[in-house]
Amino acid sequence: MTVIKELTCDHCAEPFSPAELVTDEIAGTTRNFCCYGCRGAYLIIRGAGLEHFYQRPDRQAGTLKEAFNLRFDEAYLARFVRHHESADEISLIVDGIRCASCIWLIERLLQKLPGIISVRVNFATHRVLIRFAGADISAAAICRKLADIGYLARPYSLDELQQSAHREMRSLLMRFGTAVFLTMQLMGFSLALYAGYFKGIDLQTKSMLEYFAALVTTPVVFYSGYPFLRGAWVSLRNHQPNMDLLIALGTLCAYFYSLYAMMTGAEVYFETAAMIITLILAGRLIEAGARRKAAAGIDRLLKLAPARALRFEHGSWSEVDSRELLPGDMIQLKAGDRLPVDGIVTRGTSEIDEAAVTGEPLPVFKECGDPVVSGTLNLNGTIEVKVTSAAAESFLARMTAIVEQAQSDQAPIQRLADRVAGVFIPIVLLIAAGTFIYWHLRDGAALLNAVSVLVVACPCALGLATPTAVMIATGRAAEAGVLFRGGDILEAASGISHLAFDKTGTITIGRPHVVGITLSHGTQQQLLQGLADVEAGSHHPLARGILKEAAQHGIVPKPVDRSTTHTGLGIEAWQGNTHLIAGNRRFLKEQGIDLPQTAGAGRSEVHLALDGRYIGLVTLEDEIRPDAQQMFNDLNRRGYTSVLLTGDREDVARRICSLLAIDTWHAELTPEQKALQIDALTPAAVMMVGDGINDAPALSKATIGCAIAGSTDIAVESADLILTRPHLANIPFALHLAQKTLVNIKQNLAWAFSYNLIAIPLAASGMLAPVYAAAAMAISSVCVLLNSLRLKRQGHLP
Amino acid sequence: MMTSTILLIFLSFCIGTGVWLFFLYAVKKGEFDDIEGPKYRMLDDDDVEEKTKDDEVGKL
Repeated sequence: MTVIKELTCDHCAEPFSPAELVTDEIAGTTRNFCCYGCRGAYLIIRGAGLEHFYQRPDRQAGTLKEAFNLRFDEAYLARFVRHHESADEISLIVDGIRCASCIWLIERLLQKLPGIISVRVNFATHRVLIRFAGADISAAAICRKLADIGYLARPYSLDELQQSAHREMRSLLMRFGTAVFLTMQLMGFSLALYAGYFKGIDLQTKSMLEYFAALVTTPVVFYSGYPFLRGAWVSLRNHQPNMDLLIALGTLCAYFYSLYAMMTGAEVYFETAAMIITLILAGRLIEAGARRKAAAGIDRLLKLAPARALRFEHGSWSEVDSRELLPGDMIQLKAGDRLPVDGIVTRGTSEIDEAAVTGEPLPVFKECGDPVVSGTLNLNGTIEVKVTSAAAESFLARMTAIVEQAQSDQAPIQRLADRVAGVFIPIVLLIAAGTFIYWHLRDGAALLNAVSVLVVACPCALGLATPTAVMIATGRAAEAGVLFRGGDILEAASGISHLAFDKTGTITIGRPHVVGITLSHGTQQQLLQGLADVEAGSHHPLARGILKEAAQHGIVPKPVDRSTTHTGLGIEAWQGNTHLIAGNRRFLKEQGIDLPQTAGAGRSEVHLALDGRYIGLVTLEDEIRPDAQQMFNDLNRRGYTSVLLTGDREDVARRICSLLAIDTWHAELTPEQKALQIDALTPAAVMMVGDGINDAPALSKATIGCAIAGSTDIAVESADLILTRPHLANIPFALHLAQKTLVNIKQNLAWAFSYNLIAIPLAASGMLAPVYAAAAMAISSVCVLLNSLRLKRQGHLP
Repeated sequence: MMTSTILLIFLSFCIGTGVWLFFLYAVKKGEFDDIEGPKYRMLDDDDVEEKTKDDEVGKL
């Protein structure tokens, strides 16, 4: 029996019929293509020195499909399908969505399958909601189709916590929307009533307008304001007065007094009640949005670990839930699989891409006895791993816990407001009661004056002082490309005294390029050709820099027959009979090669030797971001202390620091050591600026973590402050803005208090009718708003 | 004069309430769940076929 091997295209990896074959002789080997387009694309990619594209795990469709298919077990997926009358529904989390095109592709492709009713991809959360007819297509078939085009889909069921968070967000939005629409209506009626108060109005119209006002205010107070009423009730029961109690008291007072006034023909103050609730709900909504974004980050971190694993049990490999894995279990990983747990390799060798977890860009070679970490990606070999920690205690789970912990801490400003309320409320209540008793004894307008006290003491200005300033400052910052994740971050940023910086990708661009070529023997052509050949298969940033330089000189890398990577040192390769060694100085010395002394001024060097003869070296330099100098000047001028924390070599760190006038540096640090360095700086308030997941522990540890545009997802999500544009000059701006905001908040609070100090005695002495009290309160709120608005004009640094 | 004022007030009240109910319906339907996606979807063409391969290469 003969097996006809299917022809596959060397570019697109798709099978095709022999009749369409296009062949080409490239670098000594015959390549098969399905069309001239693919041949052209192949030549372009090769010409650019990007040949290793063809070795990428996501390119090797065959292996990937195999690995993916295992997961699509019909019975397992069926548990996640929700059955409705008209259709079945499944939610999937899809790995590999990078841009809008991916969404376009997924939606269109699935929609063409028979039995699919609708497909909706959520761009922000990478979740796909598919409605389909169970009779025509199965959930597994859908997942398989997605795997065919390179997206790994996993069933997704909202857990209890996320579901309740989602419900909460939705109900908050509905309460806020209700408050806004009805308050807008109310304003119309109130305006007419105010006009009538000053210019005269006939009683019939007045009472009609009042009925309408009462009608629209009732849902605002009892539906929109329900969270405050509930909070107030809880605080009463716990004997701990808080902001909610003050808000509830103010609104209920204004509301019930207005109802009473409506019956007796006095003036009504419905708008006071409605406005308080609407404005404070707006603040809550903004805060909830920021928190939801943070939760999505945790979701994505957990997503790195796959839900299913192949475990060896009863003499065969069977698929189990990752959560069931226990220390001591044996699991198997194929190329393209991510590790669900931490473990030790017991059989096979493979390269592991740890970039997502440690930030190390170079894949690490792992063999028997080497530890592997959850969330990392197995690139090429099949390995067997002995589990050392359960999924719940894995590296990834611990990282998630750190980030989660950091994000759930309560905002200090809120605590301050509650403390203030705790003192303020009893005093106001006492004064109101005192006013009532005093005027009652003297036969005055006792109730009216007591209400005046409560209305004028209404926490509007107090409640608005912080949220408006925070809202406007964060808006101004976002305009400039700085994202503060919440008011507490703004407050914390104002107290920062130390800044710690990551080097690669933060201060530098992260793409080294060739700055010098030094020849000992041979020609420049020979040196670049040799280096390009050796480095062609490598993912290392230095290799990319060299290949780019070689491509600029028109050099196309030739394949090598055999190559060995020595991690952290260099690469050894054979090309026919030629023996090539490329790597750092230490590596070549170890290989017995005699090299001349060069002045290594903190730059990276890659040396080359051919058959034991030293050819020369290229010097590479990672470019410093253009505005780094400006930023450090600003920071130094303002008295901040800067520290450089890098995983790179000592001399590289020293050079950068002397160039940029940075005070101190710590080199050759692991991610954990970076976090420890942050700890060492405390109790000073430290801001960490970084870009990789290797900075994530340090980012969470620091008082404020700042991620820069282009950072990995995890860094962005564990950061409190995000620069959405790669402008380092925005860091001093953000700090300056934060300080200004805090000053502004203090001014607002001071104003609100001094206003109360003056207005409450006036109201208590009966000199302020409720209508003037309400007007005074409105003016006070407007003052606070106007003061906060000044932040909007906050320019760049003076 | 009076009746027209009442009529207008009542009309504005009805319109406002209508918009409010429509908003509640939209929130319930999940219109506010993904506020990122639509701005990208808007740019998509419905009828362009054969774009899948380009997208795959574009991902590199």
